[in-house]
Amino acid sequence: MKWMHQDVQNYTKAKEYIDSAIMPLMPFSFEDDDELSKLAYQHEVMQIFMTQIEKQLKGRVFLLPVYNYLKQNKLEDEYERLETVVNHVNEQPFKHIFLFTFDKKWRKYSSKIDAELIWLPAPQQGDLNQVETQQLVQSQVSEIEDLIKEQWDE
Amino acid sequence: MSEKKNNQVSRRQFLNYTLTGVGGFMGAAVVAPMVGMAVDPLLQADGSDEFEYVMDVDEITTEPQRKTFYIDQQDGWYDTEAERTAWIYRDENGDILALSPICTHLGCVVDWETGDHDNEFFCPCHYGRYDKNGVNILVHHQKDHYMPMSIVLKTVDYI
Repeated sequence: MKWMHQDVQNYTKAKEYIDSAIMPLMPFSFEDDDELSKLAYQHEVMQIFMTQIEKQLKGRVFLLPVYNYLKQNKLEDEYERLETVVNHVNEQPFKHIFLFTFDKKWRKYSSKIDAELIWLPAPQQGDLNQVETQQLVQSQVSEIEDLIKEQWDE
Repeated sequence: MSEKKNNQVSRRQFLNYTLTGVGGFMGAAVVAPMVGMAVDPLLQADGSDEFEYVMDVDEITTEPQRKTFYIDQQDGWYDTEAERTAWIYRDENGDILALSPICTHLGCVVDWETGDHDNEFFCPCHYGRYDKNGVNILVHHQKDHYMPMSIVLKTVDYI
């Protein structure tokens, strides 16, 4: 389910079946010109990951809006903000919350936060229109999918 | 004399007729294409019943194969290419079947023979099971609202 009018209506009717929430954590910043394209590319790839996973597992997964934050912000402050979001989502109740990020800095919070924080290695920049890149992204999508399914079976 | 005059067209009337005639014609020339454009989506043929090439008939086996294809989707003014998938195979009678992979419960994508589910379609989300014909297999602890998979996307076909 997506954060969209029609899907949200379906969600309220079938809450007991949709027990997992996924949310990407995406930094952005205009500080460094060289970094812009890298961050934008990561954002693009993450969006593909999320929409593909949502498409495959539509009936059990709720894709939350992207959690955006300024890259130069202190992560301690950001952690507090994220925690309120996660706690709020947890009240629904969702049994599983998966947070996806390419940002290494989040890793030290993975044990603290009341959600499954999944750090993915940042993708090498490539042309998303090329078949090879698409295949690579697709294979990663199925790995992430397996990871979620494993959590369900536990 | 007066009767004869009545039949004649006066200069004023003649000008009136010609001006409205020519004016109306010019007006129509301007408006007609606009009307055409306004109802354009209605005039174009509806593609929903057309067949789409997906695979060759002799490639179709009794084992369901997952095939991806693209259909032209018309969204009001916009034509987009939408990706669709289907499980395509021959049943026991040799008839060709194409099943939608979307679970009828909440829309997850079902898979053929995953894990220990031999000869079944299996939905990873809530463990829904469908037999080879797309008919739901009820499992006791599940609620009974798992429905048979909708059989055949309309646009799925074979050449």
